[in-house]
Amino acid sequence: MSYKLKSDQGVILADLLAGQVTLMADQLRYSLRIKSQDRTAFTKACGIDLPNKIGQTIIQNDRMVFCVGPDEYILIDNPNLRETLKQKFEQLADKFVFSTTDISHRNIGFKLSGKQAARMINIGCPLDLSLETFPVGKCTRSVFESAEILIFRNKEDEFQLETWRSFAPYMARYFEKFCLENESL
Amino acid sequence: MTINRKETHGRINRDKPIKFSFDGKIYSAFDGDSLASALLANGIHLVARSFKYHRPRGFLSAGSEEPNALVTFDRGQGRVTSNVRATTLEIFDGLVAYSQNNWPSLKFDIGAINDFFYMLFPAGFYNKTFMWPKSFWDKVYEPAIRKMAGLGPAPIDEDADKYASLYSHCETLIVGSGPAGIAAALSACEKPGRVILIDEQNEFGGSLLSTPNLTINAIPAWQWLKNSLAILKGRQNVTLLARTTVIGYYHDNFLGAVERITDHEKDINQNKARECLHRIRAGEVILATGAIERPLVFPNNDRPGVMLASAARSYLNRYGVVVGEKIALFTCHDSGYEVIFDLADAGISIACIMDVRDQVSDNIIAATKTRGLEIRTSTIVTNTSGKFRISSLHASRINDEKITSTEEIICDCLLMCGGWTPSVHLFSHSKGSLKWQENLGAYIPDTPNENTISIGACNGTFGLTDIMTEADSGQSKYTVDDMDFGSGIIAATFPTKSDPAKIKAFVDYQNDVTEKDINLAVREGLKSIEHVKRYTTTGMATDQGKTSNLNALQITAHAVAKPVQQVGLTTFRPPFTPTTFGALLGGKDGDTFHVTRKTPIDGWADDNGAIFEPVALWRRARYFPREGEDMLAAVNRECRATRESLGIFDASTLGKIEVVGPDAAEFMNRMYTNPWMMLKSGSCRYGLMLGEDGYIMDDGVIGRMAEDRFHVTTTTGGAPRVFRMMEDYRQTEWPELDVWLTSTTEQWAVIALNGPNARKLLEPFVEGIDLNPESFPHMAVREGRICGVETRLFRVSFSGELGFEINVPAHYGRALWEVLFKAGQQYDITPYGTETMHVLRAEKGFIIVGQDTDGTVSPMDAGMSWAIGKKKKDFVGKRSLNRSDIVAKGRKQLVGLLTDDPNIVLEEGAQIVADPNQPIPMDMIGHVTSSYWSATLNRSIALAMIKDGRALTDSDIYIPMADQTHKVRVSTPIFYDPMGERLNVL
Repeated sequence: MSYKLKSDQGVILADLLAGQVTLMADQLRYSLRIKSQDRTAFTKACGIDLPNKIGQTIIQNDRMVFCVGPDEYILIDNPNLRETLKQKFEQLADKFVFSTTDISHRNIGFKLSGKQAARMINIGCPLDLSLETFPVGKCTRSVFESAEILIFRNKEDEFQLETWRSFAPYMARYFEKFCLENESL
Repeated sequence: MTINRKETHGRINRDKPIKFSFDGKIYSAFDGDSLASALLANGIHLVARSFKYHRPRGFLSAGSEEPNALVTFDRGQGRVTSNVRATTLEIFDGLVAYSQNNWPSLKFDIGAINDFFYMLFPAGFYNKTFMWPKSFWDKVYEPAIRKMAGLGPAPIDEDADKYASLYSHCETLIVGSGPAGIAAALSACEKPGRVILIDEQNEFGGSLLSTPNLTINAIPAWQWLKNSLAILKGRQNVTLLARTTVIGYYHDNFLGAVERITDHEKDINQNKARECLHRIRAGEVILATGAIERPLVFPNNDRPGVMLASAARSYLNRYGVVVGEKIALFTCHDSGYEVIFDLADAGISIACIMDVRDQVSDNIIAATKTRGLEIRTSTIVTNTSGKFRISSLHASRINDEKITSTEEIICDCLLMCGGWTPSVHLFSHSKGSLKWQENLGAYIPDTPNENTISIGACNGTFGLTDIMTEADSGQSKYTVDDMDFGSGIIAATFPTKSDPAKIKAFVDYQNDVTEKDINLAVREGLKSIEHVKRYTTTGMATDQGKTSNLNALQITAHAVAKPVQQVGLTTFRPPFTPTTFGALLGGKDGDTFHVTRKTPIDGWADDNGAIFEPVALWRRARYFPREGEDMLAAVNRECRATRESLGIFDASTLGKIEVVGPDAAEFMNRMYTNPWMMLKSGSCRYGLMLGEDGYIMDDGVIGRMAEDRFHVTTTTGGAPRVFRMMEDYRQTEWPELDVWLTSTTEQWAVIALNGPNARKLLEPFVEGIDLNPESFPHMAVREGRICGVETRLFRVSFSGELGFEINVPAHYGRALWEVLFKAGQQYDITPYGTETMHVLRAEKGFIIVGQDTDGTVSPMDAGMSWAIGKKKKDFVGKRSLNRSDIVAKGRKQLVGLLTDDPNIVLEEGAQIVADPNQPIPMDMIGHVTSSYWSATLNRSIALAMIKDGRALTDSDIYIPMADQTHKVRVSTPIFYDPMGERLNVL
């Protein structure tokens, strides 16, 4: 028997969010842990650039690598590269002490864009999102009201927010309320 | 209708006349009026009844400090707000407001009878009178007092408005936009940082709005204000927030502010938020919150028409409203004269000027004479008359604290000026210390606790020249044409010829506290202002004593004959002014009030009639009733179906943690009681986790996926706690271990199949895993594919039946569930919820952490010594297991209970006794932890924790309940299939 199971991210965005909030399609996501002293060699061996400072991001094609801790990276990539990456990591298993855990379906990604993007995030997130303190390319963990988030600034007026799957509808509802209250934007 | 307007005065928009209604009557006003100015313009002074005595009350002030003029603001169903200060309510065409705390009407109020029986309501009245009989409090006294007590009714309809919230950041936050705030903003906006300027009023300008005659740098005040605002508006780095009240000042320059967005708008926009809660983090906070004029405390100082001098000035200059035709002034401070001069210059008749002081400066005398007025020095007001508005007053000359003569003076308005109280509320919220300033008779900011400065009147700096200089960091860029602010004396108590027990000289207008009440409190032994406050309720009303605190303090100090500093100071607490619950919630309502985590399969459960229950932040399907079934019937059916054929259960909420690294097994060995080093890849083990105290903290089945990788499961509610504790040990205790943790709770959707037909259903869908029991035994885990997607397939059972837990990436959870459910029809597959899961596990004697354990249960207590690795050197909690109290006899142990009458289902939490005939209080030997009807066994079963319970097996114990005492037999906690044969059904 052959089956094709339907993927369901568990959140639907209201029409009024069009152009301001987008739900990102299925992504490949890994939590990658490796000690800082092994970072350079690991990068060389597998070709995945890892940022060297917490809060930095490296983008290569579809791949984004966020450094969110002294030895902690979130890697987001094209789902078609699943097997390639898996093999890569397997090959490196003997050479490096590191950990990869698939969190592709744990997280949901939102893209917020437009002039009001930062303001929309600030309805629930206490970070200062001015360009001076949160420049393009910066990422960090934070909270959005009761949800833990990973926030990344793509562009001056574009952010990516990642949260756990079951918190996504809660956040989407906040965005919806914001857009309703700010119709004219 | 314009008899009380001065055409030459005011900032109101006379081109925009509007209509509004108060107590059902329609009046006219202009755009720009407050409800207070609009009512005064229509000659209405009586607007409220007081809290306790139901005395007629009018407007005391023109600002947010108003204690008297509280009204109900009605915008239709779900939009009724009571206790709104008429002085801050902006008027719009069609506004509807009512007076409060009167019945049947404002003019004829039955409750006013309290005023004649005042002797029955002394300070501490409630504390003294309603002490007995004690049982009367809840049912008789409290409801009656609540009904009688003042203020408006609580809303009964759901709030129809929306609310919003926003975090903001700035380098400089300026609170207050009077001359000091504006000057500070002008200088701050020149620097690169972001500036936010906030003012509680609808217009920026603060006191400048009421003083158009001043000039700043030779420019008239209003023009200067306009110019300055234009500059600020033109700056990219400046945010101006009007109609915004800073309600609290918290740690690290974090301030809460509520912006009123729609209350002043004529039309209701369903989508627009009514109020927005701004949560602001500021680099520096500049407080320019000004000062509040102090009333004077004399007999009957609360009649409508008796108001603060500064209020009359605001009504005249800002609103073009004349508050009386014959106005008297009673002052102890020079600033009162500025008001009377403005009024006289506007052509208003002045009845008399009374100054407590025996001398007034020559300048003032001259300015008074120029206007044809005279000052009565050493004169106080000893009484007022007039039913609904003041009609006359008694002016008494004093000499050496004694009244020498008294004259009645006709007037229709009496202005009071008792000096000024700096508004140090926000500074105090931030834990800045205050110091007593004798010449002001007030506290002013001393040492700040945050990066903040206070400027202007809130810092005790008065006089526009000084204020502007201070606001501009000591530079004197501003030249101001301003009358000298002058000085005054503190006059909190006055001599009287009347019986002090019979006069009512109000200190706290809103809570109806009089000078006499404070003196009584002191006589009854209360010496500290904190105690006097609680005893008399002075300063405890919704205005937090903005106009009364300092007078209360001075009167108390006078009564105890001590300096004010020794009497103490009451604490200021947020919010600065009353705040709506909607604003405090900041838009968290409905779906955003609280996170409800839902599993990938939740939607299916919802579509199929599940009844849900909350478990931690999750909602879980509790049972799936069919037509006509109650919970018991549904659960009985679900239990039977699972035991007889096949049940399907959503276990996605189970906490999951991936433990990875070369030292993963060592880490597991240290965290859990069980041995892990020898567990083979592809095998599972039940893991038991203890706290340092040796008590059971969490449990779950753990699979070893590879030498260096474990798939840990935790309880649903315990997941965050377990993860945090693991990270804590990993990072701080054992940094030498090469191991990492990742929460994977939400990576996997988990479908549990339980029942003799579980394998048969599963087989056709699985690829790459041999389900044959020899190669895939109980407590094994395999990786492969199901319906084409990757799976971690566990053969485990929490029901005692043949069981599988299918982990698939979460987004495929529902689709897989639907495939299995459809295919399972041939086995009458039955979806079941948490309730059936609980019954099935209880039949097998499996504990639920948090239900059968309560944080004081050791593994030995729970009969789980088998889960402790005997040869292990150490694990978290091991040392505690040898503690004398943990190994002592007499600890509660987990046992099973079988009621004598099999139809009785015990109550969970019920207490257990050995001898029901013992006199009360009986010795309680334990309690019921889990109790269910077991459809499988056709009788009730229960688990309990009983002192030395295992030794009581097969003996009887008793459970006394309200209606009868149940006799119960103690048993082993395993009620069903004790040999575990059902796990191996082929």
